[in-house]
Amino acid sequence: MLSEQIQAKIERELVKYPADQRQSAVMAALRFVQDEKGWIANDDMADIAAYLGMPQMAVYEVATFYHMYNLKPMGKFTLTVCTNLSCQLCGSDDTLAYLKQKLGIGIGEITPDGKFGVREGECMGACVDAPMFTINNKKLCGRLTPQKIDQILADLEGGQA
Amino acid sequence: MIKIEIDGKLIETENGVTVIEAAHQAGIAIPHFCYHKKLSIAANCRMCLVQVEKAPKPLPACATSVAEGMKVYTHSAQAVKAQKGVMEFLLINHPLDCPICDQGGECMLQDISVGYGGVASRYHEEKRAVLGKDIGPLVSAEEMSRCINCTRCVRFGQEIAGMMELGQAFRGEHAEIMSFVSGTVDSELSGNMIDLCPVGALTSKPFRYKARSWELSRRRSVSAHDSLGTSLAVQTKSNRVLRVLPIENDDINECWLSDKDRFAYEGLNSAERLTKPMIKQDGKWHEVEWQTALEFVANGLRHLANGAGAAHIGALATANSTLEEMYLLQKLVRGLGSNNVDFRLRQTDFSGDGKQQGTPWLGMSIADISRADRLLIVGSFLRKDHPLLAARIRRAVKNGAQVNIIHSADDDLLMNVANKAIVAPDALLETLNQVARDVAAQKDVGIAASLRSGERVAVLLGNFAQQHPQAAQLQAAAQQIAAATNGKFGFFGEAANSVGGYLANAVPGTQGLNAAAMLETPRKAYLLLNVEPELDCANPQQAMAAMHTADLVVSLSAYKHHALEYADVLLPIAPFTETSGTFVSTEGRVQSFKGAVKPLGEARPAWKVLRVLGNLLKVAGFEYDTSEAVRDEALHGMDVAARLDNGIGAVEAKPYAGQGGLQRVSDVPIYATDAVVRRSAPLQATTDASMPRVWMRSEELGKLGVQPGTTVRVSQGGASVALAAALDDRLPKGVVRVAAGHAATAALGAMFGTITLERA
Amino acid sequence: MAKISSFFKSFLLLELLKGMAVTGKHFFAHKVTVQYPDEKTPQSFRFRGLHAQRRYPNGEERCIACKLCEAVCPALAIKIEVAEREDGSRRTTQYDIDLTKCIFCGFCEESCPVDAIVETRVFEYHGEKRGDLYYTKPMLLAVGDKHEAQIAKDRAADAKYR
Repeated sequence: MLSEQIQAKIERELVKYPADQRQSAVMAALRFVQDEKGWIANDDMADIAAYLGMPQMAVYEVATFYHMYNLKPMGKFTLTVCTNLSCQLCGSDDTLAYLKQKLGIGIGEITPDGKFGVREGECMGACVDAPMFTINNKKLCGRLTPQKIDQILADLEGGQA
Repeated sequence: MIKIEIDGKLIETENGVTVIEAAHQAGIAIPHFCYHKKLSIAANCRMCLVQVEKAPKPLPACATSVAEGMKVYTHSAQAVKAQKGVMEFLLINHPLDCPICDQGGECMLQDISVGYGGVASRYHEEKRAVLGKDIGPLVSAEEMSRCINCTRCVRFGQEIAGMMELGQAFRGEHAEIMSFVSGTVDSELSGNMIDLCPVGALTSKPFRYKARSWELSRRRSVSAHDSLGTSLAVQTKSNRVLRVLPIENDDINECWLSDKDRFAYEGLNSAERLTKPMIKQDGKWHEVEWQTALEFVANGLRHLANGAGAAHIGALATANSTLEEMYLLQKLVRGLGSNNVDFRLRQTDFSGDGKQQGTPWLGMSIADISRADRLLIVGSFLRKDHPLLAARIRRAVKNGAQVNIIHSADDDLLMNVANKAIVAPDALLETLNQVARDVAAQKDVGIAASLRSGERVAVLLGNFAQQHPQAAQLQAAAQQIAAATNGKFGFFGEAANSVGGYLANAVPGTQGLNAAAMLETPRKAYLLLNVEPELDCANPQQAMAAMHTADLVVSLSAYKHHALEYADVLLPIAPFTETSGTFVSTEGRVQSFKGAVKPLGEARPAWKVLRVLGNLLKVAGFEYDTSEAVRDEALHGMDVAARLDNGIGAVEAKPYAGQGGLQRVSDVPIYATDAVVRRSAPLQATTDASMPRVWMRSEELGKLGVQPGTTVRVSQGGASVALAAALDDRLPKGVVRVAAGHAATAALGAMFGTITLERA
Repeated sequence: MAKISSFFKSFLLLELLKGMAVTGKHFFAHKVTVQYPDEKTPQSFRFRGLHAQRRYPNGEERCIACKLCEAVCPALAIKIEVAEREDGSRRTTQYDIDLTKCIFCGFCEESCPVDAIVETRVFEYHGEKRGDLYYTKPMLLAVGDKHEAQIAKDRAADAKYR
């Protein structure tokens, strides 16, 4: 079942769309679930489908189409490293390698304590700050250097996300 | 009308059509994969790229509307280059496994790559692999690497079947067609995805590796499993039916085929087929020659007719017997001096007999259903009983029609329903009468308001309404509503020859006993044509009691079945693929067909068996050489269209009350309707054919103190069976739903009536 | 005149000498007759003799039951029945070639997408009864097993022309 908070958020979202187009809120609904749980399980998709009155498969299509939805458990802080051209030219390979080495995990994995996960991402439209990653698809961190990464990770550890 | 030019050919076409439609009208082929005339436009395969004058780049013909003066080139250098390029891309990830692919030989991708593709691929890297999926017993999705992601199957599910079971998950190179959490595809129309799939990604599971397309011979036939009269192509090899495909017929089935019609053929080759005549002597069955068996039957019948009287002979046929078979059966029985013949085995109310103004039928053509703008459907398990009619109505609803339902169960019809009244069986008539009164009083409430606002109203009575104990009154009420709304009314025929049975006069008339009466007051001898009494009759308990007390039961059947217990003679007859015959569809279309294969073993067409029986019994007028001669005699001088009339005179009011207890509501599950379907292994493996359960509301579950899934004892008429309980809160109060026509519930009594539940 | 000419020709045994000249020429010329079966003519790697079914080196039969050879056979000499094997692969349950019908055109070989049915260099086979030349799948596989080395060599030699 979707939690009451999520239902309330979806209801607010539904106001934006015509009454017979409830499925328009699917992307927002998926986002709310991910915000709450960190990832979206198949059961959650079935719940969203029931709530919005659309086929389960249609929810699944949307959830698998977009890169930002986590379809398996990810860390509390998911770091999505851009590996597209601009970032690559500015050293995203090094960033990724440093992250991997520092956290001791590979792409798509999470640290044993469940705190950090690393993913590869596509261009975030802020090439001026390359190389960069996002934290939980929300906060952009750019012009990364090993020192800066250390700082960010330490801050996150300390709970100042 | 506007003028366009395609490949230098001037074409006049309607405004608004697409280039590909205009080209096809003019007989110009444009290669395509994702485009299908009955589905929405996706324009994702890009195979139909054509050059349009003044357009800088090639345009997809399926998604480009025509415009006045447009000049289209399908074979110009630019178009050919585009087609070649697209073809090369499509083949990049397509495996070269045509030699083991069931689609090989009838594959659009194969054909079009020969016609439009290059000679060799320049792609030498690794191809992508997509894992196979298990999506149920009918459709095989084992080789999804072959998929070119045209999404025809997805669109079919959304638009025609009404349920989106397959979808395209992931993105780009990772995109693949799958079902949600590896679920099965349970639509009753799922087989059409096999036809739609332009490649070999979705293929028929029962047909897997059975034959190549070029080995099959093709025979035209007519569906025997529902009343639509679907046009079929029966494909055979070495005297065996290996596949059934639809033949496009826009007036009937369009290009679709229900799974029941498509996969029922597997039952034809069942191990249960009866291949030699059999006689029971001293409690033991012996295989005998035809001559012996027929003489045995003739002697038995003659003896009875001369002794106790012909009125002790009763003949029952199922409504999917052919016109010829039913005609000869009634002629034989009447020749012996009995009028006890009937084919309406599940009907319980015969008070309309003698008051019918003609032969009950759909009341309109099948195409008219698509044109109706207001429909009232009374007592029908529409999706399961008439899958393709449901698809038609679904599309009508999408185009703005309103559907109103009066029924005793609330199954999801996968379409928007304007109004529905879900009431117990004993309130069905009153609900319909209320609508009739509202319509007559010009009140704008609920269903009446919907019907009154329409121009082309159709009131349709389903199988449940025809089997209802107040069927005649329901018919009269529907007649009133149709008259008051200036609409049409009719019946969804229950089986392939529900109309033909009347035309063949396989009804008792005023002197004989109808199906129910014949079983209520047992006869001494029964002639059963295709009938499995415990599954095909309204009250299986009563039917079986009658069979057990009879002195002589002659079962003309394609299968060995329970008749082994009570019958005295089993005569192997040929199912519809092995005999010629005629079905009259629910819209009154008379369609004859020829046998596709020779009868199995010593089975013989039933019309021949009955003809010889007639000769042996020296009944006059049994000199037929062909089934056509029988048909011509049966329909001689008959204007079929004029005979079709749903009008009914004043009928007596017959009360039907629930008597306080729980009322039974029965559907005949979609894959339990006739003998062939019941023996089709793939159909029996589907979700729709799962073990019947006893559906009830949560109150009833609470009263029994059981959870869904717990086994409960269901009793009716002194017998009881154990079934799993299931929850359905959409049922009306005081109603329990138990399927009929299934071996698990055959011990129970009538399809309507009170029923008791207790914990097992 | 003709009479005189004919008289001298026969008197001087001219025809005899002419005949003896031919005999003499062949007597000393290079011999083309092959003393079969002690000697054999050379064969092309495309020689079309007895059919064989091949296997992959791991012992798996090559034939995938696509039925193209059955479809292309102008003499209708091939009969194939197919079924899904337990491991899910498509295999023949019956693969018969009636060599009394076969016209050794080589179309089966040419149509085969997996080089399973081939014609070998073997032409010295016989049957004592009518049915002996009805080759079934085990017989064809046995032929293939026996001559695989030669078959593989011939396919390799032909590869660049295909």
